[in-house]
Amino acid sequence: MRRLLADKLVFATAAIVIAMAALFALLRLAG
Amino acid sequence: MRRRYATRGAAWLVIYLLFILAPLFALLAGSLPPARDFWTEFAAAIGYAGLAMMGLQFGLTARFRYVTEPWGEDVIYHFHRQISQIAVVLVLVHMLILFATRPEVLAPLNFFQAPWSAWFAVLSITAVIVLVVTALWRVKLDISYETWHLMHIVLAVVAVGAGLLHMAGSGFYLVDPWKRALWIVLPIFWIGLLLYVRIVKPLFMLRRPYRVAQVRQERGETWTVVMQPDGHPGFRFRPGQFGWLTLWGSPFQITGHPFSFSSSAAVAGERVEMTIRKLGDFTSAIHKVPVGQRVYLDGPYGAFTIDRNPADMHVLIAGGVGVTPMMSMIRTLADRGDKRPMVLLYGSKDWESITFREELELLKTRLDLTIVHVLANPPAGWTGEQGFITATVFKRHLPPPYADHEYFICGPDVMMDAIEKALGELNVPLAKYHSERYSFV
Repeated sequence: MRRLLADKLVFATAAIVIAMAALFALLRLAG
Repeated sequence: MRRRYATRGAAWLVIYLLFILAPLFALLAGSLPPARDFWTEFAAAIGYAGLAMMGLQFGLTARFRYVTEPWGEDVIYHFHRQISQIAVVLVLVHMLILFATRPEVLAPLNFFQAPWSAWFAVLSITAVIVLVVTALWRVKLDISYETWHLMHIVLAVVAVGAGLLHMAGSGFYLVDPWKRALWIVLPIFWIGLLLYVRIVKPLFMLRRPYRVAQVRQERGETWTVVMQPDGHPGFRFRPGQFGWLTLWGSPFQITGHPFSFSSSAAVAGERVEMTIRKLGDFTSAIHKVPVGQRVYLDGPYGAFTIDRNPADMHVLIAGGVGVTPMMSMIRTLADRGDKRPMVLLYGSKDWESITFREELELLKTRLDLTIVHVLANPPAGWTGEQGFITATVFKRHLPPPYADHEYFICGPDVMMDAIEKALGELNVPLAKYHSERYSFV
């Protein structure tokens, strides 16, 4: 059970990191 | 108790994300160079984040009990393995976007003209790719566990170190001295985590050795090693947990071996037992361990325990030597005088190789314990279950509703996958079944 949860956490972490990287880029462009 | 562990687990996840994202967003403070296009800035951001994720990999395997406790060590290692692939993808995408958006970046990749920062990027990416490939396909590549482990650590340090030097050499965002300081302190912290598990922890273990008090042969090419703390009070564990055993040599050895405790967690006294089956190079020498030998134990670890998952009825499902954590649970409940019903579904090769067969029969008299042996090669005249543990076997021996019981599964991966599937077919919620996999390292 916990391994399945870990898989979901991996995807969630990846999604958050990519979204935050995009936010970083947008903030840079916004000045 | 479950809620407390869930809250702690969630808190550590937030801290993990903060360690990746806070140093990235800190780059937006202070003086900034002129912004470039979106994709270049995005590539830079995932480069920093990917490097932070690679560095934090040292933390995931640093065996901080307080951190790993909510999840269990096997889940942390699983996360470590899966997230490393995400970090590799981020670092590769970082490189590919920069090649696409800024073709001039490619020009310096000429052997004689390339700036040193570009070559550190190549070194870091190469190291990390080799790292992941050898971790995922170690067995297929026929690399021994010990060799791989050493190689894994060296490649990890090279990947992170070279990544850091690439970042420092590029230096686009590291204009302010405090930003440079931040991104120097961070890698020192990451490498510090490695030094903690490789030097500080072994130093601590060196002061808390154990002595082998007895080596007892069990059925099925299996031995129980009884260990006694030498000059210290030892530790308490929960039934189902495991420890890292260093049997030969010092605790500074790169490779430790995880084994479940098989003894009762309820007995007063400091002795601990591990029951180990002959399955590989390390385990095949277990029976040769002399009484009095000094050994080192790092533990307890793991979330696979009945104490964290109270239930009206425990269903223990064991395959082969996967019975060892179950044995600890059964012995502990017997010593506690716990009369809650318990079913042990126990898969073995044949009747003669059933480890703990006689003791389990004796324990039935002290517990409300039902044992169902499932034999792959049953003897002539066998009327019990045969083959493998399936949903049909569950239905024959467990009272419905199946979703009300708490399930503990330990054994070979193939068996565990099949059982988790069978439990899903019986509509048992995920939160009700718990697995311990030996193959996590």
